[in-house]
Amino acid sequence: MQATATKTAPILSTRDLWLEYSNRRGTVKAVRGITIDLYRGESLALIGESGSGKTTLGLSLIRLLPGSGRVRSGSILYEPDGRTQDILSMSEEAMRRFRWQEIAMVFQSALNAFNPVLRIWDQIYDTVKAHDGMSKQEARKRGLELLKMLQLDPERVIRSYPHELSGGMRQRVLIAVSLLLNPKILILDEPTTALDILTQRNIIDLLRKIKTELDLSMVFISHDLSLAAELADRVATMYAGSVVEIGPVNDMFYRPRHPYTVGLIKAVPTVTGDYRELFSIPGSPPDLVDLPSGCKFHERCDRATKRCHEEEPELVPVGDGHYVRCFSAT
Amino acid sequence: MTMRIRALARSLVLDPLRVIRRNKMGFAGFLVLSFILLLSIVGPLFIPLDTKTKIDQIYNPPSWKHILGTDSQGRDIFSQIVHGGKDVLLVAFLSSAISSMIAVTFGSLSAFLGGRFDSLIMTVTDIMLTIPHFPLLSVLAAFVKFTSPVMLAVLLGLLAWPGFLRALRAQVLSLKERDYVQAARVLDLGLGHIIFREIMPNMMAYIAIAFILGMTGAVYSQVGLIMLGLVPFSGHNWGVMINLAWTRGAIFYSGSMSYILAPIAMIALFQWSMVAFTRSLEEVFNPRLRMGQ
Amino acid sequence: MARQMREIIWRTIRAISTSVLFTRLAKGVMTVFVVMTLTFFIIRLMPSNPIEIYINQLVSQYGMSFQEAKNMAASLFSIDMDAPLYVQYFSYLGNLFRGDLGKSFLSQGTPVSSMIAQFLPWTLFSVGVSLLISFSLGIFLGMTMAYRRGGILDNSLSTFASFVSSIPNYLVGILFLVFLGVRWKIVPIMAMRGSTSPGIQPGFTITFVKDVFFHATMPILTYVTTAIGGWMLTMKNSTVSALGEDYVTVAKARGLRERTITVSYVGRNAILPLFTSLAISIGFIIGGSPLIESIFVYKGIGWVLWSSISTRDYPVMQGVFLVITISVVMANILADLLYSKLDPRIKAGQG
Repeated sequence: MQATATKTAPILSTRDLWLEYSNRRGTVKAVRGITIDLYRGESLALIGESGSGKTTLGLSLIRLLPGSGRVRSGSILYEPDGRTQDILSMSEEAMRRFRWQEIAMVFQSALNAFNPVLRIWDQIYDTVKAHDGMSKQEARKRGLELLKMLQLDPERVIRSYPHELSGGMRQRVLIAVSLLLNPKILILDEPTTALDILTQRNIIDLLRKIKTELDLSMVFISHDLSLAAELADRVATMYAGSVVEIGPVNDMFYRPRHPYTVGLIKAVPTVTGDYRELFSIPGSPPDLVDLPSGCKFHERCDRATKRCHEEEPELVPVGDGHYVRCFSAT
Repeated sequence: MTMRIRALARSLVLDPLRVIRRNKMGFAGFLVLSFILLLSIVGPLFIPLDTKTKIDQIYNPPSWKHILGTDSQGRDIFSQIVHGGKDVLLVAFLSSAISSMIAVTFGSLSAFLGGRFDSLIMTVTDIMLTIPHFPLLSVLAAFVKFTSPVMLAVLLGLLAWPGFLRALRAQVLSLKERDYVQAARVLDLGLGHIIFREIMPNMMAYIAIAFILGMTGAVYSQVGLIMLGLVPFSGHNWGVMINLAWTRGAIFYSGSMSYILAPIAMIALFQWSMVAFTRSLEEVFNPRLRMGQ
Repeated sequence: MARQMREIIWRTIRAISTSVLFTRLAKGVMTVFVVMTLTFFIIRLMPSNPIEIYINQLVSQYGMSFQEAKNMAASLFSIDMDAPLYVQYFSYLGNLFRGDLGKSFLSQGTPVSSMIAQFLPWTLFSVGVSLLISFSLGIFLGMTMAYRRGGILDNSLSTFASFVSSIPNYLVGILFLVFLGVRWKIVPIMAMRGSTSPGIQPGFTITFVKDVFFHATMPILTYVTTAIGGWMLTMKNSTVSALGEDYVTVAKARGLRERTITVSYVGRNAILPLFTSLAISIGFIIGGSPLIESIFVYKGIGWVLWSSISTRDYPVMQGVFLVITISVVMANILADLLYSKLDPRIKAGQG
């Protein structure tokens, strides 16, 4: 369906993935039929407002949907070396070993990501022990190395309890721990939210360094388009549980086709800081329990026509590797 | 006007009732508690106390005439149960009222004034909290002759406040930082206004629950003291019934089971119903709890 | 140089005085001191002052002269009755620090301290074992309830727990006695009286240990039944909230084994709040020992307190009350230290 943007083969793909969970009001359709590929060595950004389904999609990649969450249909395929594994049909034990070894995830709430009663070293060793294959000495050496790479004082940090570290330090420690087992894929869910602006800058720089130095494929989940601009090769905009536009980062920024992507770009303050007023998309994201008919964005769209009310558009190509789900864009 | 009264009635009576019914255990507690209160307060007006000794009817098992049987002097046990709750309830209520008053006054003052006053109050509280409550009461009972339930209630109340005070102080400290309280302080509305108008209304849930739990504590101590014979109450009281049944060896007669089991059951039910009822109160006062789960 | 030295000394003093152990110890010493003072003034200043009552009793019952009776009372209380009150107070404190708690009225001449040495271990034993059992069993059941919340097991255990934790423990004790001992005759309650069987040789022999447990069975059963409900409910609640913590999700994402997550991520954090109630629970159980021990005639310190009060044996009463307080204070300090060991955040001075 998608032409390859890069020359390599996909390492992780979802095929028509539908995810939902239940709350008191009914079934929340969090992800609706997403088919997307992550290519080896690339970094892909998933952009959208909260409630667009991007975090649910991220969690489903390591089968960690919360409580009532479930996969309605579809598959998630992992193809590291020619072999294909369906993540959704792996056994529990195989899945446990798979997590962090193959796909690691950095969560947004790093303040609380570590067990408060264990030292960082204990949590590093925990992780290693759960996957065997590394001795205690090797684990320690690797841990110190990674902490150093993330510009932390390795000897001090490894002995610390989480509460002895600042928020930015904890986030960097989490990134270091995520690289511990040399995963092939790293998922970063809002890695810089809840941090002050200088720390954010620092983390972004470190992530760029990791991206260039290590052989990793990355998925960024963010509501912040400027972050995607700095880190991603490709960007996918998500709205109401589906991808509405996907393309190479330059196309997405300079030639956005979907009105929602356009709105998101306008909402980003420019670096040059001119006086253009910040734009915000009118209205709020749709109710995922009771979705509107037709194009899910039509209620907030200034280009909406009668057709948009009745029919949901398909994702169609508009450029090299650039696809959009909008009637007015084609 | 009638509209307002009706609205008031709804918010004060009907809404809480609806919420109470939502929590099953809390509602069961509410029903049992209402039954015990009714039996002990209204019951004595209708059911006369049987005081006549009947030698030929000692330790009779339950029958239609005596639904709980008779005691060591052939008297009806059911009538003693009906009359025996009043003092237990009175002591529990009064004692908890006294300790709550102390806890609320000094707890909020401590939180508000801070500094030396706070550390003095907290030191005293910590010490009082550590001294084992029941042994202290029993030692005091050796010196003070408790002739009336009111006296016992006062003493229990004077000793029972430390736990409540600590919890209340912590609550007030967190409320103190809220915006509206800060605003009242900036406007200099006076300590009394802040405590009674701004803080207390937000603490009612907390106080009501602690008050009821305080009553359970008072029941534990009072019945314990009576059971050990350290508070020589005469008259009719569930605790005295247990004490008499115990000292007179009622547990060894098969016909006398209800003499010891009936007051135990009443006290156990009373204690349980109060604890269970606080569950519902938590929901009445805490709308956030109502929404979740 | 001297200034530097002073600086170092001051810093050390400040570090010690703000440490958890020091503040807890200071508070404990203060509590014990308050109780010492309280009992002294109760005994000396109450309107029906027990020393005078005792003197009058000796005069009227044994026909002693007033002076004889007074000397007798003074020697039992270890108090010089003619000295000014403050002198008496300080010599009383001095005696206490030397471990001299006076002598018993009843079994005349028996020092109170040797009575305490004889009876206290049984209370500490039965209460300690009960706490250990109820705490660990309660934690286990509470966690199980949290992992299966909403199920039949959770609902029935919750109902059970809320019942047993709200009913006074001595009533549960009476019920056990009535049903297990008298009605159904499952338990030989008569043979269980006392803390050991008469004539048994103390020592680390199997017979002795079995005998000790045999006599403590009913008190332990009662304490455990009534205390376990509270632990179960608290543990269930704190486990449920620990399960929702981000670090548990992250631990799953890190591929940790389910057992590791349950034990050192969920369990270790869920237990922490229970330690704050541990101190209160210890005080409550030891405080209730006069009731439980007198119901089963288990001869521990609580039973001695009850019998000394009902026979008006004031020196014993005073000494035993003091020792009960000291036990509670020590148990509190122990619980606090344990807590600060388990929660690294406490050391940072947030406690």
